[in-house]
Amino acid sequence: MLKRDTTFKVIMLLPLVFLTGYFLILVGSQSAFFSLDDFLAQLGQQDIRSAIALSLIAATTSTVIAIVLAIPTAYALARIEFPGKRLLDTFIDLPMVLTPIALGTLILMSWNTAIGRLLSDIGLTLPFTLAGVILAQFTVIVAISVRMLKATFEQIDQRQEQVARLLGCSAFSSFLQITLPLAKRGILAAIILTWARAIGEFGATVMVAGTAKGQTATLPSSIYLAMSMADLPKAVTLVVILIGISLLVLFGLRMVTESKR
Amino acid sequence: MIQVAQLTAERGDFCLGPIDLNLDESSYLTILGPSGSGKTLFLETCMGLLEPRSGKICLDGKEVTNLTPEKRQISYLPQDLALFPHLNVRANILFGAKQRKLDDKVSLSRLSDLIDLLDLHSIIDRHDVTTLSGGEKQRVALARALLPGPRLLFLDEPFSALDATIKRQLQVKLRQINQDLGVTILHVTHDQEEAFMLGEQIAVMIDGKLRQVGTRDDIYYRPKSLDVARFLRNQNIYEMTLTDIDHEGFLQLENGVILKAPACQGVEVGDRIAAVIRAEEVVIIRPNKPIGPELQDNLFLGTLKDILAFGGTHTLTVRIADSGMNIDIELPNCAMRDFGFSIGDKLQICLRQRSLWTIKIDTVKREDKDAAI
Repeated sequence: MLKRDTTFKVIMLLPLVFLTGYFLILVGSQSAFFSLDDFLAQLGQQDIRSAIALSLIAATTSTVIAIVLAIPTAYALARIEFPGKRLLDTFIDLPMVLTPIALGTLILMSWNTAIGRLLSDIGLTLPFTLAGVILAQFTVIVAISVRMLKATFEQIDQRQEQVARLLGCSAFSSFLQITLPLAKRGILAAIILTWARAIGEFGATVMVAGTAKGQTATLPSSIYLAMSMADLPKAVTLVVILIGISLLVLFGLRMVTESKR
Repeated sequence: MIQVAQLTAERGDFCLGPIDLNLDESSYLTILGPSGSGKTLFLETCMGLLEPRSGKICLDGKEVTNLTPEKRQISYLPQDLALFPHLNVRANILFGAKQRKLDDKVSLSRLSDLIDLLDLHSIIDRHDVTTLSGGEKQRVALARALLPGPRLLFLDEPFSALDATIKRQLQVKLRQINQDLGVTILHVTHDQEEAFMLGEQIAVMIDGKLRQVGTRDDIYYRPKSLDVARFLRNQNIYEMTLTDIDHEGFLQLENGVILKAPACQGVEVGDRIAAVIRAEEVVIIRPNKPIGPELQDNLFLGTLKDILAFGGTHTLTVRIADSGMNIDIELPNCAMRDFGFSIGDKLQICLRQRSLWTIKIDTVKREDKDAAI
């Protein structure tokens, strides 16, 4: 029995070892092009600092907007019966199957419609603006949030909400006092995943907002620009910064999630 | 207290009702039925968790059919208890008080009473409700349902996952809650022993319909339909033909044997009748003993074909001579020891008239069913 368990565990652990090794090779291969002096010097450059700030602001804002909209949407899809629900459920998934480039094209084209022109007229323009970056990232990540949160709400025993109603809660109060606290871990997981996806977003962002240095160049688009100009030290510095920020935030959020269990 | 009139509801292909039911203040009604008979659906509809298709629900004479669940003042203990895992034991119990905006003093006084009543002293400060045992969770969920001081409590198979000892303790508590606190209880269960022990009135639900509502004896000894008789484990059900009705109204039934049975309303000679007798009501006549006057009719000679031993009783299957009729007899262990029966023994038995119950078989309905099959 023990031997069988050991074999089973080894079989399950081997892919983990392989994946860890593979990622270490990817990260470690940057060391040939990395020097601390270069890194510190690059950090002092205005365009890099601006890319870091823009990435953090845009990813956080788009994640907040996506989660705020995804929570009720996912709850409605998980709990409320209405005509055309299956169709809507499938439609909401569309951004997950389209490539980011195609999504970016859709966003740009939608600004040529009456609504788009109206928004442009009131000052909400997309090319070379922070709003363009945020909208591109939001469009890419919102479907992921909805999908994850719908699964979370479906896992919560509806009986708990019903008992809360019979103990005196209104539907909204039951949602706030029972459903949301029980969905906390799922919501945090959705935040982690969507934020990570947003900060790494490239295709739709470039299509919609371009890569204007100091204006709409996020960390991924700055990496692309550096590589296209064969500026390897800068590209590696940006990669290391992106890895560092991502790991820090993901690890921090994971620690919060684990400690609240 | 609660009146349900012509209530119907549906979930998927399953249709509930129409159901009519009246429940008096401080009474205890058990709804007994097999799994999938619609018991939970009925509770959910009464509580406002499911919209009825038609019908009316009134509480204290006021119609509540369209009120939201929180406005119906019904407390609920579901089968899976649904304790709130993110709240500790105390917060779980006090949850309803907070929502109903009860005065703190009242809440704490009720909490203290419930701690005593349900013996929650050792677990009231427990932080994590998921670490409680099944019986402890049950008591916490019951306390949570009772703390807001409901006049009506709905219980949905609350003890189905508990072992026999804890189940019995909690059943006694429930009776106490009903009698001492005056809480009106509607309790659904598939457990016949539980239904008969707790319910002053029992309603039998089969296939989404209340087939019979009555006292314990009505349901146990006088089932109104074959479905109810079979569900209540009446092993001795004989389909016979009514051949005569005597001047006292007794029925003569034939099907290989002749039975004299009590009257049954609306029957006439030639009708198909089911004669029912519970296994523990069959009398074994001791050899060489005089036979009393009430045991003169329905005497049969038979051969003991099988003996099944249960915890405290034995079930004997007797084949009646010259007929295909089998009769099950339930004997307590002490009587079984006295008789010392073994398979193959000959014995004389009596189906007392007062223990027999007759049900007219709805032949048209049956023929329809057969045709459908």
